[in-house]
Amino acid sequence: MSAPLLSVQNLRVSFASPDGNVRALDGVALELARGGALAVVGETGSGKTTLARALLGLHPAECVAGSIRLDGDELNRLDEPGWQRVRWRRIALAAQNAGTAFDPVYRAGEQIVEPLRLHLGLSETEAWQRARTLAEQTGLTERHLRAYPHQLSGGEKQRLMLAMALSCQPDLLVLDEPTSGQDMRSRAQMIALLRRLRAQSGLALLLISHDLAAAAALTEQTAVLYAGKVVEAGATRDLLTTPRHPYTWGLLNAYPNMTTTRDLSSIRGQMPDPARPPDGCRFHPRCNQAVDDCRRFEPPLERRGGRLVACHLGGVQTLLQADNLHKTFVTNGHAGPDSLIEAVRGVSLAVLAGEVVGVVGETGSGKTTLGRLLAGLLTPDAGAIYFEGQDIQAVNGAEGKNLRRRIQAIPQDPFESVDPLFTVRQIVRQPLDIQRIQGDRDALVRDALAAVGLPAEGGFLQRRPHELSGGQLQRVVIARALVLEPRLLVADEPVSMLDPSEGARLMNLLKRIQNERGMGMLLISHDLALVRKVADRILVMRGGAIIEQGLSSVVISRPQHDYTRALLLAAPSFNWFPDGSQGADESPDINNTGDQ
Amino acid sequence: MVGYLFGLWAALTLNFLLPRLLPGDPLAALLDPDSAGYVYDSAVRESLEAYYGLDAPPVEQYLHYLAGLFTGDLGQSIRLKQPVAAVLGDHLPWTLLLTLTALGLASVIGIWSGAEAAWRRGSPMDKALTAAGVVIGNIPVFFTGMILLIIFGATLNWFPLSGGRTAFARYASAFDAVRDYAEHLFLPALTLTLALLSSKFLLVRGSMIGVLSEDFILVARAKGLPAGRIKHHHALRNALLPFVHHLAAHAGFALTGALFIEALFDYPGMGRLIFESVAARDYPVIQGAFVVVSVFVLSANRLADWLTMRLDPRIREG
Ligand code: SF4
Repeated sequence: MSAPLLSVQNLRVSFASPDGNVRALDGVALELARGGALAVVGETGSGKTTLARALLGLHPAECVAGSIRLDGDELNRLDEPGWQRVRWRRIALAAQNAGTAFDPVYRAGEQIVEPLRLHLGLSETEAWQRARTLAEQTGLTERHLRAYPHQLSGGEKQRLMLAMALSCQPDLLVLDEPTSGQDMRSRAQMIALLRRLRAQSGLALLLISHDLAAAAALTEQTAVLYAGKVVEAGATRDLLTTPRHPYTWGLLNAYPNMTTTRDLSSIRGQMPDPARPPDGCRFHPRCNQAVDDCRRFEPPLERRGGRLVACHLGGVQTLLQADNLHKTFVTNGHAGPDSLIEAVRGVSLAVLAGEVVGVVGETGSGKTTLGRLLAGLLTPDAGAIYFEGQDIQAVNGAEGKNLRRRIQAIPQDPFESVDPLFTVRQIVRQPLDIQRIQGDRDALVRDALAAVGLPAEGGFLQRRPHELSGGQLQRVVIARALVLEPRLLVADEPVSMLDPSEGARLMNLLKRIQNERGMGMLLISHDLALVRKVADRILVMRGGAIIEQGLSSVVISRPQHDYTRALLLAAPSFNWFPDGSQGADESPDINNTGDQ
Repeated sequence: MVGYLFGLWAALTLNFLLPRLLPGDPLAALLDPDSAGYVYDSAVRESLEAYYGLDAPPVEQYLHYLAGLFTGDLGQSIRLKQPVAAVLGDHLPWTLLLTLTALGLASVIGIWSGAEAAWRRGSPMDKALTAAGVVIGNIPVFFTGMILLIIFGATLNWFPLSGGRTAFARYASAFDAVRDYAEHLFLPALTLTLALLSSKFLLVRGSMIGVLSEDFILVARAKGLPAGRIKHHHALRNALLPFVHHLAAHAGFALTGALFIEALFDYPGMGRLIFESVAARDYPVIQGAFVVVSVFVLSANRLADWLTMRLDPRIREG
């Protein structure tokens, strides 16, 4: 492999602030081949823009440490005049917010001509000639060059910014959020334009973006930045189809709902304060699978199967894995080919740590049997189930009990699953008694009730099931599942017995608890509309087998199977309007993770 | 443009009405043999009568007044027994010389130092300049003038103490003439410059700091432009827009300041004229001075608007 065009090693950028030293970038390493394209993705505050500016030497020199090599030349030692020779001629920047990137008192063309005259020594006429060519390449005309910035639209300014950045034919173009704030159409046009320009000029691109689709369309390599560190890097295609790092995974699941203003919904918590990053892995407060080491040691960025990942566990863990499960029931007690029902036929699936997997199918599709198999309530005829890497059928004794306690089921009908004579306190406390959990069991009961939004005082604790509403009882049952602090919830139609608005509230609650505790959840339902609002991934089941699966957004927007399409149409609260929005008579929105 | 004409008309009308509405009817008193203000010189009295025409109906007086303004007839000075226009013509150039010199100097120094301070924001130079700006801006003009007069005029004897030129001097060459005028101008102009400077400095510094944080400055740096070009061509050019407005608003202040300073330095401009005219109840001159001041302030505003339009394409379009 030839020497890279750009090689960034151990780049650190820190700023003094009243809150202490803010480490905006902390040891970033990147490489970009001549003519290659690299995406750096991350949320607002990850350090993306700091990186873009560092590559042009726009930070005060004392803030930047480490190495930035362009074609073998060390840039980070340059003085200001030295940087002036690099900027625009070798590395150009298409800045974010093209809307404010132009000096309001000069014509757009004058600002494109400015570096041409300065760096390339062109005459006024030559420079304008070149500006016209550039404008043409970006789909603009002389009129745009003659206009003042305030006379141009946002999209036109974005194109002019690009024309300006390309003017001196740089080796490397840094694009800072080139698609932000644009509607779908201009976004697509911008991506097409960038692809064309790149093909024509052989210029290398460094794309800084939170827009994963843009990264996929424009780059071969992607690095994911979190709190000033690269947490995962590799080929764009692989990285976006099979994310390894829990953060990348969350980023992907949040797409396309994530915007620069809204934080990730599928990752709990917030980006850490850059002045006080957490010890150990910076992602650990938000990570669903953090172990002790994560809190203490910083994971190095290591090569793992053609990918660089900074995670002690090597990436997202599989919580539950089922291989080729089979379950056949015998009806009427008579054995024989006619009376055999193959409820589950060769199902394999996985639930990752902190993931919500929806299993959707009609009655009789085998989804309930599958749920019971996975929850350990039924034994499969064939196939294996692994929970946190352990075969749940192979372990027994105390270990098996401990393992099974970490998988909890929430039944469809709460009235069937509780003893009608028990009080609320007894119902919730029962699993603690059975498991002989040490400690103040009543306190645990109260905590669990509080978590599901029920009163935890005397009166309520003494009520019996018939004194509760369906919604209250279902909450009690959820509390019963939560007291044992499970890692995985298997919820089979958890809200089907409730009226729609109570059901939506309860689903909200379940999603929130799942998110806060970082549990995995298998949500089984016939209602695709319900499932798509909470699930990260959807499996469609029919006749005992899985016929379609994928990210929720993909399954919903581009269903592959006719059966899935039929389910979509049949979904009760799911009305398609031409603009893709939903009907007004909809039940409360579950994505609205507000409280009940 | 219409706005300015209206402003001018309003100022002139006010000027017409004021002395007529003042209690004690001062204009009538000039012609009333029983009043203390009676003008004894009959020639002057006749010209006053002709100019004010107090016996005529008010509308006629008003039209007569406006017609007079357009023909340059501002009446007759009671005290100096000369046409007001001629009196103003003697004094106005001195005041303009003083005011415009100081405004020009203060602007140049204020823009330059404000831009440099903002560019090196937080440096010792910036801190020193800002502190000095705040202190100087709060010293009364009169006090600065006195100090300068005592130090450079009385003690060091570098500059003449008063007047606009050496009395009865005959200049051997144009250079000598300029030098004499400049020496007399120096202290009053310095005083006024200091009075005007700090607000200009602080304004340019402030707006320059604002502009320097704009995205287009970052882009200008990314484009590899040299510091000087970013500073002047982009940052200062934008920072000047609010300055122009300030300049217009400041013109009136500068003129009033000049009037006080003239009194202090015995400079032969409008200041002294106005004070003496007030003391002598020389109404025609006072009114004439008011007209001149109004025209000056309005012209300054008109000029500022025109400049802003030249400088800011966003306003040019809108
Ligand atoms: S498992 Fe640990 S090291 Fe890996 S991302 Fe989570 S907290 Fe970081």
